[in-house]
Amino acid sequence: MNQQEITRRRTLGVLGTLAAGSSIGTAGEPEGRITPLSELVNVSEFELMAKRKLSAAVFATIAGSNRQDMERCTFHPLSMVDTTKLNLSTELFGQSMFAPILAGPASDQAKIHGEGELGMVRGASAAKAVTVISSRTSHSIEKIMAQAKGPLWYQVFPDAGEIERAQAAVKLGCKVLVVTVRNPRKPDWPAIDRMRKGIAVPVVLKGVTTPADAETAVKRGVQGIIVSNYGGPQTPSSFAMLPPIADAVHGRIPVLVDGGFRRGTDILKALILGAHAVLVTRPPLWGLAGYGADGVQAVMEMLQTELARNMIMIGAETPKALTRSMLKRHP
Amino acid sequence: MSQGEKVWASSFTRRTALQNLASFLGASPFLLGQQDPFRDHSRVPRLEELLTAFDFEPVAYAKVPRVAYDYTAYGSESEFTLRRNREAFDWVDLIPRAAKAANVDTTCELLGNKLAYPILIAPSAGHTQLHPEGEAATFRAAAKAAQTTMVVSNNASLPMDKIAAAAKGNLWWQLYPRRSLDDSKALLDTAQANGAKAIVVTIDQQSAYYERSLHDRNLSGGRVSTRLSAGADPNPYRVLTNRAWYSWSYFDQIRPMVKVPMLAKGVITAEGAVKCVEQGLDGIVVSNHGGRGMDYLPSTLEVLPEIVDAVKGRIPVLVDSGFRRGSDVLKALGLGAKAVCLGRVPRWGLAAFGAEGVQRTLEILQQELALAMADMGRPTLASIDRSLVRTRFK
Repeated sequence: MNQQEITRRRTLGVLGTLAAGSSIGTAGEPEGRITPLSELVNVSEFELMAKRKLSAAVFATIAGSNRQDMERCTFHPLSMVDTTKLNLSTELFGQSMFAPILAGPASDQAKIHGEGELGMVRGASAAKAVTVISSRTSHSIEKIMAQAKGPLWYQVFPDAGEIERAQAAVKLGCKVLVVTVRNPRKPDWPAIDRMRKGIAVPVVLKGVTTPADAETAVKRGVQGIIVSNYGGPQTPSSFAMLPPIADAVHGRIPVLVDGGFRRGTDILKALILGAHAVLVTRPPLWGLAGYGADGVQAVMEMLQTELARNMIMIGAETPKALTRSMLKRHP
Repeated sequence: MSQGEKVWASSFTRRTALQNLASFLGASPFLLGQQDPFRDHSRVPRLEELLTAFDFEPVAYAKVPRVAYDYTAYGSESEFTLRRNREAFDWVDLIPRAAKAANVDTTCELLGNKLAYPILIAPSAGHTQLHPEGEAATFRAAAKAAQTTMVVSNNASLPMDKIAAAAKGNLWWQLYPRRSLDDSKALLDTAQANGAKAIVVTIDQQSAYYERSLHDRNLSGGRVSTRLSAGADPNPYRVLTNRAWYSWSYFDQIRPMVKVPMLAKGVITAEGAVKCVEQGLDGIVVSNHGGRGMDYLPSTLEVLPEIVDAVKGRIPVLVDSGFRRGSDVLKALGLGAKAVCLGRVPRWGLAAFGAEGVQRTLEILQQELALAMADMGRPTLASIDRSLVRTRFK
């Protein structure tokens, strides 16, 4: 029998193999494939892309948002206000920021994307946004700072072991030191004071969750606070705590906020309720996961643009023109 | 084992090969392309089968391209306001009187126009996208449906004279403010020369953004970037500021150009409404642009009472955004609106069945309103007051 003979069986076999192996037949998108960056239209879509790029375990650390309280607000705009000279720039600790939106601190970003913090800082500074560097980075602080085109902030925990890192980062040029409260329900004030000793730049306390703690922070001479809450679902959201805390601080020091901000309108709501600026952490990480530095830049710019667009529609040319009467909170 | 048997044992069986082929065909996108997996297209109903305005939406979806359907459907950004507009109707109850009304009179007078029903067609752009006859069909249908007033959009797909020639009826005209007063005058002159009985100036939607539209343009082959296209005079935050110049003084500037009543559309606060009264406007339309202006605005229904209270009857208050039912209209009348404008409803009618569809949707709402008034024991529009409604806005 001639092995090269073309039999019906062989023909069908070859055809079947060809068809089964063909890329035309692959239904759906292959794993890890993501949409071109220019086609994404909002920040939530970056989360979907991050989900496709990352392992389930890594994605779980940066997934999700708690926006429930932001969903219970409606705007009360001023009609027919000329906003042609729209300007979002915000003065914070002696620095002028392009927009009141910062990329928040997150540890070990190399698990999200090979470039890690290098991509984060490069992308955020391309969007003229300040990045807060975590004390737990995948790259050396020197290498990270070399990527920045604008000021960086540095974040530490009030532990004895972190004091040196904080001082080194400040020495290298970080403009603000963020000290994150270990247990937001019971800040360790002496440890926070020890951390601030010998630090020449403004110190901002992150993790303030009550007006009483905000008052203590002001009294102890902290230069700014970040209303922030990683306490879980049973505690009120940082967005919900922002108004009473902003009231208690009463403009004595800047009040920032983080936690669940995914939209320009979310950020606008916080600015109306008394925040001077908003930190977004997961969104730029989603951008980083999918597209590296370009993704970070796109996310930060998208939020700036959404905020700008909604400032025009609410009738405020600058953040200073925003007033509490522009937001109604529903029960 | 012979050579032939070896080949036989190690090669594909015919069964496997056929199975592979069948799975390939089964999974092939060419086959999927033959049907829309989300909807059964086996049958489009006849006009007579459609009983409510809602019934027209799926027919419209089936008949026009996805881009045209979505243009009618979408809201801005997260579409919070789009959803809230509909939710708000569940927060208003109608309270019937003990006795039903035997005869119902739905006529009213609005800015010198006699209306058979307090229902108008709101301005909306580009009707030829939905039906080749475009606004001409919409106007012809409006005139047939008890001489319903149609507000022609500044962005209509046909020129005003073509629309006006399509029927004998009532036309108003909507203007997007133009920075150049000469441009404004040219537009206003054309509209009034073609019989516009009122001018509606839109004061909202300075910088709206539709994500569904961007997705659609990607789907239809055009490459769309979320960043602004070049040459659009973007400010540092990459937003268009071509409508950011709006200010109240614009009304003073165009007042001499307008010989007919002038209304402002897009009022969403009591302060804004009072400002309109102070500007000498003849009426307002409470509107969030059908959820297409700023996202996270309140529904129009929930702000209607405070706006009506602030206006104190000095000028008529109209309302739009989310109205689909005669009972929806009645709820707004109970909260103090003088009339209601419909945007999407006649668009669905037009996309589904052309002029006949528009006429049918209008007649359905007119009939539903009359029935609801009878059921609630309110024989005339004058007999409608706030005791008709109980609100529990959330």
